[in-house]
Amino acid sequence: MTTEDASVAVIQPTGDIVAASVPELRSRMRGAIAGGAHKLTIDLRNVEMIDSVGLGMLIAAHNSLTRVGGELSAVNASEELIDLFVAMRIHQHFRVSGVGEPGDSVVGA
Amino acid sequence: MSDFALDDELVQEYIAESREHLATIENDLLTIEKAGADIDEQLVNRVFRAAHSIKGGAGFFDLVRIRELAHKTENVLDLVRSRQLVPTPAMVGVLFLAFDKLRELINNHRESNEADIADFLSTLTDAAAGPPDAAGPAAPPAVPLRMPAEDATLLVRASGFDVEQARRVGNSIFIVECDLLHDVERRGRTPLALFEGMMRCGSVLDTGFDVAGCGTLDDEIRNRFVLEILYATLLDAVSIGQVFEIPLGHIRLIEDNRVAAVPAPKMTARLASAAATPPEASANLEVRSKAGSAGPVLTAGEGTIRLNIGLLDSLMTLAGELVLGRNQLNDAVASGDARAIGAGAHRISAVTSELQEAVALTRMQPVGSLFSKFPRLVRDLAQELGKQVELTMEGTEVEIDKSLLEGLSDPLTHMVRNAVDHGIETPAIRSAAGKPAIGSLLLRARHQAGQVVIEIKDDGKGLAAEKIAASAVVKGLVTAEQVASMTEAGKFGLIFHPGVSTAEKLSDVSGRGVGMDVVKTNLDKLGGKIDIESRAGQETSFRIKLPLTLAIIPSLLISDGGERFAIPQTSVGELIRIPAGQVASRTDRAGDAEVLLLRDRLVPLLHLSEAMGYGRRDGATMALNVVLVDTGSFEFGLIVEELHETVEIVVKPLGRHFQGLRDYAGATILGDGRVAVILDVAGLAARAGMNGMDLKSASAAEEEKESVALHSLLLFHNAPAETCALPTESVTRVERVSPAQIEVLGGRRTMKYRDATLRLVSLSDLAPVGELSEASQWVVIVIERAGRPFGVLAAEPLEMVEVEVALDTITLRQTGIAGSAVLNGQTTLMLDIFELASNALGEETEADPVRRMEGSAAACGTAPTILVAEDSDFFRGQISRLIEAVGYNVLAAEDGQAAWEILDRHAAEISVVATDVEMPRLDGLALTRRIRADGRFANLPVIALSSLADEEEVARGLACGVSEYQVKLDRDQLVASIQRAVGKADSRLSALLN
Repeated sequence: MTTEDASVAVIQPTGDIVAASVPELRSRMRGAIAGGAHKLTIDLRNVEMIDSVGLGMLIAAHNSLTRVGGELSAVNASEELIDLFVAMRIHQHFRVSGVGEPGDSVVGA
Repeated sequence: MSDFALDDELVQEYIAESREHLATIENDLLTIEKAGADIDEQLVNRVFRAAHSIKGGAGFFDLVRIRELAHKTENVLDLVRSRQLVPTPAMVGVLFLAFDKLRELINNHRESNEADIADFLSTLTDAAAGPPDAAGPAAPPAVPLRMPAEDATLLVRASGFDVEQARRVGNSIFIVECDLLHDVERRGRTPLALFEGMMRCGSVLDTGFDVAGCGTLDDEIRNRFVLEILYATLLDAVSIGQVFEIPLGHIRLIEDNRVAAVPAPKMTARLASAAATPPEASANLEVRSKAGSAGPVLTAGEGTIRLNIGLLDSLMTLAGELVLGRNQLNDAVASGDARAIGAGAHRISAVTSELQEAVALTRMQPVGSLFSKFPRLVRDLAQELGKQVELTMEGTEVEIDKSLLEGLSDPLTHMVRNAVDHGIETPAIRSAAGKPAIGSLLLRARHQAGQVVIEIKDDGKGLAAEKIAASAVVKGLVTAEQVASMTEAGKFGLIFHPGVSTAEKLSDVSGRGVGMDVVKTNLDKLGGKIDIESRAGQETSFRIKLPLTLAIIPSLLISDGGERFAIPQTSVGELIRIPAGQVASRTDRAGDAEVLLLRDRLVPLLHLSEAMGYGRRDGATMALNVVLVDTGSFEFGLIVEELHETVEIVVKPLGRHFQGLRDYAGATILGDGRVAVILDVAGLAARAGMNGMDLKSASAAEEEKESVALHSLLLFHNAPAETCALPTESVTRVERVSPAQIEVLGGRRTMKYRDATLRLVSLSDLAPVGELSEASQWVVIVIERAGRPFGVLAAEPLEMVEVEVALDTITLRQTGIAGSAVLNGQTTLMLDIFELASNALGEETEADPVRRMEGSAAACGTAPTILVAEDSDFFRGQISRLIEAVGYNVLAAEDGQAAWEILDRHAAEISVVATDVEMPRLDGLALTRRIRADGRFANLPVIALSSLADEEEVARGLACGVSEYQVKLDRDQLVASIQRAVGKADSRLSALLN
């Protein structure tokens, strides 16, 4: 499920971001970026778990976007996921917000 | 100030309580300093409350300087408590100084209001303001973590705060590199579980994900996701690897902060670089007390002792038993029943033994109360001398007699200072000698064979026997030949002689060659022994052996010339009987001294009869009973007529008249009711001119002179033949007057003095002594009591003398006369300033404000109940008495929680709650919130008692529902406030009833 709006794209994975689902998501993100989206938002409302490969992919996406002057943000992260991001200081690299936090509004904009 | 002239007892109570607070504060501060940023809130709270109590009392007694200083320390502590200030060593140092000053002020509370504390106040204000560059939460001086230089790509970064904290608790810092895929997921873990595990064994200071290593979406999916973790822990690298299943190669030690770390070459380099760090950071001091369960140690104020109430109860029970036994015995004696008398005597004997034990227990105090001052002492000294010392204390729970403990204080302090100053070397020297840079000092107390052994052991450079011996030769204490035949222990023993020093250069701390002799003298007085063991370059240990208690000592009874004497068992080495036939062969004369050949040595002999001055029996034809006694520095044989049994004797001090005699240590009453004096063997030997190695103890007389306290007295006359004296320090001024200047107003003699009327008294106003003679020149001796002067009329000639006074407080004691003493061959009356003052000023003191109000409540016919919550025993007692004095009932609670429980039970009876703000468990504001939250008490007046309510505090209190703030123990205000509150409560009740 992808929402397109010029440079803004929201990708909402349907399940956990783990090694098995990464290839598919990865190609969706690459497609979005190739389509001109510089502000990519990952909506994590359906995501319970992100494994190391998933994490690596999110960071790879962040790296790709940074290279083209864009930015990645993650929204609707569960508390557990936020803990994970904070523990690894990943939130210092791209914006992460929880369910119902202001990050949401960015998506609608 | 007149307040505490009125309430001297209250002041004493406050002082005693404050001293106890100060004693616990010291140790708590050390612990706080050690914990650094990782503060133990309860501990800080405890110190805060202690400072707060001191402040409160000071406010009550109008001791403004004490109050100000305590208030400032409280401010700083408050910031520490709220984590706005980190208790760095520098800051704790400031607090130490402030509390030291506070102690000084409290000890001299009468003069404290004139004390200059401006420096202390400004230092504390600065401390409260925090480090100058700190915005918001103060950051400690950041000592940058030295990251491996070759690695510019580190992902983690440590804040100065975290590093400081890790250093303080002795955590080493590691970088742990962990691959999320292989080290975490493949091992069936999650990253969060790993973090949780790591937090249990240390702190994760920072993490960094290798973001660049993940590439971009266009790259291949990686199979290595590296997370770097900056980890502070007490574990070593191998343990980290094992515990968290991380390959050892991925764990790098960045900084080793373990206290006991042996300086490897790499460490030495770091020590050198430590010069660049702030000085306080390099003074590394670790204090450990192995008696973890000892808890806070009570240090009683001078002359007072706090007792466990249980012990007091058992004493009371025993006293009851004793009374029963006496009654039983009386009955038996009256009826002449021999069997019953025997039973009664047996009972009394049993109770007496138990009573004796219980009473002895009351005097027992843990050694910890003495040891507790050493962590601070060692810390300060080590900092001052640039040394690193780890002090370990063991056996702080060992109890010894209080008087012994007091006597030990000076010698122990001296020896601890010596150990840090002379014993332990500087870190550089230690490292060079291959020793750990941090010196260790051990203070250990333990029981051994009915004695207490206290050991002071350092791993410093040891004693140099040859240097000591050389110093003693130079001082002329021993000859070079004597030194040649001395054992090493003998040479060590020389340091106990005056003037012998081991230090090459003098320092502020010690090394002037005075001290160890004083240590020895003090220990001798306590009946203690001291041994020295030392290995050059490695360690020195002093071992002090002390009797458990001074009051009851096992002693050998002997008799001579029809008198009985006791010799303390600790002085007795062995008993020797020389049959008449062997006397000639086993004793000999060396010069004019008689010696005994004992096994392979010669022991000097002393005839007790000769020493006592009633001539010696001709010993040639009689067997000799010899008691081999040990004076502590040498042994000699005391020849006595008869030897008796060993008994436990109760030591009674000798009367004043005998105190100058060095032969006797005291006296005791024996079972048959006769008196036996206790021999002081060292004194006997000294008087007989004996000394073990012919040591010239020329300084002995000098020392004796010094130990006698001299008093400065102003001598004057009353009637021409009556010499009187007053202590010079009590005299403000002396003015000549003529009888014509003296006016009699309202039946009192007065004179004009500095534009005011000065009340005059003469001794004849108080005591039946002669009147001043008109013929002599009169003077007025002006004395100030509680800020108010009065004059004592006297006659010339005046004289100032510095004398040793043996005051006889019996013979001539009467109102106005404290006692008498013989000065320059003349009986001199020592005047009692307190009684003179109360005669001169007493009737003028205002009636106690509380008295005036007394009965006002009782008159209303109701006696409302006030609930008082206050954690300070002193204040709780004061407030309760104050409220009771105006006729109300009081229920008292020692904290908010207890108050709540009482309130809950007595909901209907309590009219007003008066609560302290700072309390353990549940504080005053929380109590108030709880009261307000309960419908029953919605309108119950709550008066918050605070020592110095500032606006902010008042606002906080009112927000919680406090009805009124009162400054703690402004008595009039408090009483008025309670009366108002009671009035309101009454109207509330009547409103409800109607």
